[in-house]
Amino acid sequence: MTTLTQSPSNAPVQDPPDDGTRGAWLLVAQREIVTRVMNKAFVIGLLVSLVVIGLLAAFFTWQSSRVDTYTVAVAGTDATAVGSVTGAAELAEAENGSTELELLEVADDDAARAALSTGDADVWLHPGDGGWVLAGEGQPDGTVSRLVGTAVEQQVLAANAEAAGTSMDALSEGAALTTEALDPQAMGEDTVFFATFALSFLFFAGAIGSGMMIASSVVEEKQSRLVEIIATAVPLRQLLAGKILGSSVIAVGQNLLFAAVGLVAVAASPISIALPALSTSLIWFVVFFTVGFLALAALYAVAGALASRSEDLQYTSTPMTMLVMGVYFLTFSASGTFQTVLSYIPVANVVAMPARVLSGETTWWEPVVSLLILGAFAVLALLVSERAFRGALMQTGGRVSWKQALRAEA
Amino acid sequence: MTMLEVHDLTRTFGDRRAVDGVSFQAPGGMLTGFVGSNGAGKTTTMRMMMGVLSITSGEVRFGGAPVTRADRRSFGYMPEERGLYPKQPAIDQLVYLARLRGIPAATARTEAMEHLDRLGLAERAKDHVEKLSLGNQQRVQITAALMGRPRALILDEPFSGLDPAAVDGMVDLLREHTARGVPVLFSSHQLDLVERLCERLVILRAGNVVADGTPTELQQAGTVRHRLVLDSDAGWVRGVPGVHAVDVDGPTALVELADDATTQRLLATAMERGQVHELSPVRPSLAQIYREVTA
Repeated sequence: MTTLTQSPSNAPVQDPPDDGTRGAWLLVAQREIVTRVMNKAFVIGLLVSLVVIGLLAAFFTWQSSRVDTYTVAVAGTDATAVGSVTGAAELAEAENGSTELELLEVADDDAARAALSTGDADVWLHPGDGGWVLAGEGQPDGTVSRLVGTAVEQQVLAANAEAAGTSMDALSEGAALTTEALDPQAMGEDTVFFATFALSFLFFAGAIGSGMMIASSVVEEKQSRLVEIIATAVPLRQLLAGKILGSSVIAVGQNLLFAAVGLVAVAASPISIALPALSTSLIWFVVFFTVGFLALAALYAVAGALASRSEDLQYTSTPMTMLVMGVYFLTFSASGTFQTVLSYIPVANVVAMPARVLSGETTWWEPVVSLLILGAFAVLALLVSERAFRGALMQTGGRVSWKQALRAEA
Repeated sequence: MTMLEVHDLTRTFGDRRAVDGVSFQAPGGMLTGFVGSNGAGKTTTMRMMMGVLSITSGEVRFGGAPVTRADRRSFGYMPEERGLYPKQPAIDQLVYLARLRGIPAATARTEAMEHLDRLGLAERAKDHVEKLSLGNQQRVQITAALMGRPRALILDEPFSGLDPAAVDGMVDLLREHTARGVPVLFSSHQLDLVERLCERLVILRAGNVVADGTPTELQQAGTVRHRLVLDSDAGWVRGVPGVHAVDVDGPTALVELADDATTQRLLATAMERGQVHELSPVRPSLAQIYREVTA
């Protein structure tokens, strides 16, 4: 019997309603996950990352809780000098307690110079021409200069005021400036910047790492022709679904782990007040990342299918790598209107929207709308990728282009 | 006995017809050899039979009906230029591939261990495949195709790279499946091997079947030659009408004879000239037939 058109039974691996292959994607996903978790390089990389995050957190905590003590030498018992040092020490304590000042009273100027050179004192406060001098062996520490400068000024002003028949309080009445945080949980700009940077990096590392994982797992099967055996056993759609699920579980799981370690570190640090806002932002990030990674995983799977050997991967995955790197560089540096625009564009919104949530400038519906846009993009990416994946996977001999893959019947 | 057959199977790549109206049968219970030079269309045909490559026209039939996806799922298949997951233990990938074909995990594990045991690889079952020798990797690959009592076997160059002892071991395995009535189609470059093993033979040239039948049928269909051995120089046979002298070497001549009358005339002439030691038909070897039909 000759038929010019293809009879359904002779069509390449298509999808019948049910022939006992329905659970195959779970088997595929399970294998992807197990293979990955058993992979030494992956496990070592994960452990190193966790240790680095822990060390960074410990360093910042130590850095911010560290107390620097400076000894200020004063010659003789100059009341103004002693009063200034005491005043500066009080100012330091009132600020944040990370700087402490101690007074060292020495006999005369020579003794003060000696104390500086032996290191017994860090700075020496003494009268100079028409004012005061804070001397150090090198240039005195900036914080110490500022504190002592303010204290000296107050002492001298008080003395001058008294001489002029008035008082310091009268002179400075109404000039006091106090600071107040309307929302005690609002982030400092630095915290927002570093958190945004951390989100960008989590996106970058997760997307590239797990994206390349799915691509190389696809090309491994293509190169070894295992995919031909698999294709006769289960529909390719199921193979793709299983691979996307497997690599997504790894990618999201890894980011959850990093996020958890990061949050524990923040909780133990002086910026623990930021914890609730950071957590909200991180939850959004994980949701966005999960949806966004589905799309990226599908595209990376196509990159694997377009290659015919693992050596081709660096070419076929270039567009995806550029996309991920672009998102990384744009999102961690973006601000203002540009960031607002990015927060609605897939897949930049995976980072940009949670970053905006963190800085507290979003209303409740903004992340929801952005997530819907991302979801629509993911569905589109999955549909296109599924077609290209099936079109490219069985083509042997050389790299396949996206165009060829989308046009191919099989 | 379930027959596997292809009817008028055609596949074009752009303007090129890689397979052009190929029809043949691989009957159940027999080893069918699939022979042809590189690029003759063997792999393309086999990939279409397995549904890995779409068919331009024609059809594949199994058990008298168009092959279904479920049929193919029950076939054992070895693609060409194949490999395995290098960094996964042999046993794990055998179980995985079997489970994808719907075989329960426990059954698959037991069967895979039995196979590996027979191949002497039981204690290496947990080794990563990349640590096995190429021959042993090939054994694992064929095991993957033989798992779960396949209803047909389509094997692309299953013996390439194996030593003769390993080939015999594999053939014994395949015979167990033909004994169950399963059709086995395998391609090979090794003609002597195909001649020794196969009950049937299909020869492909440039996308067309040029010979198809049992080895005996093919030999009988081929040009029969005769050998003539005399007691003196046989050069004169070149002058006898109806005789085509293929080769003359002293008193021995290899000739092709137009008909029986020519045979009698040649014999009579030879006996007039002296003693005739031998005049016998020479059956062509498969290698000769192959060269003739693919020339």
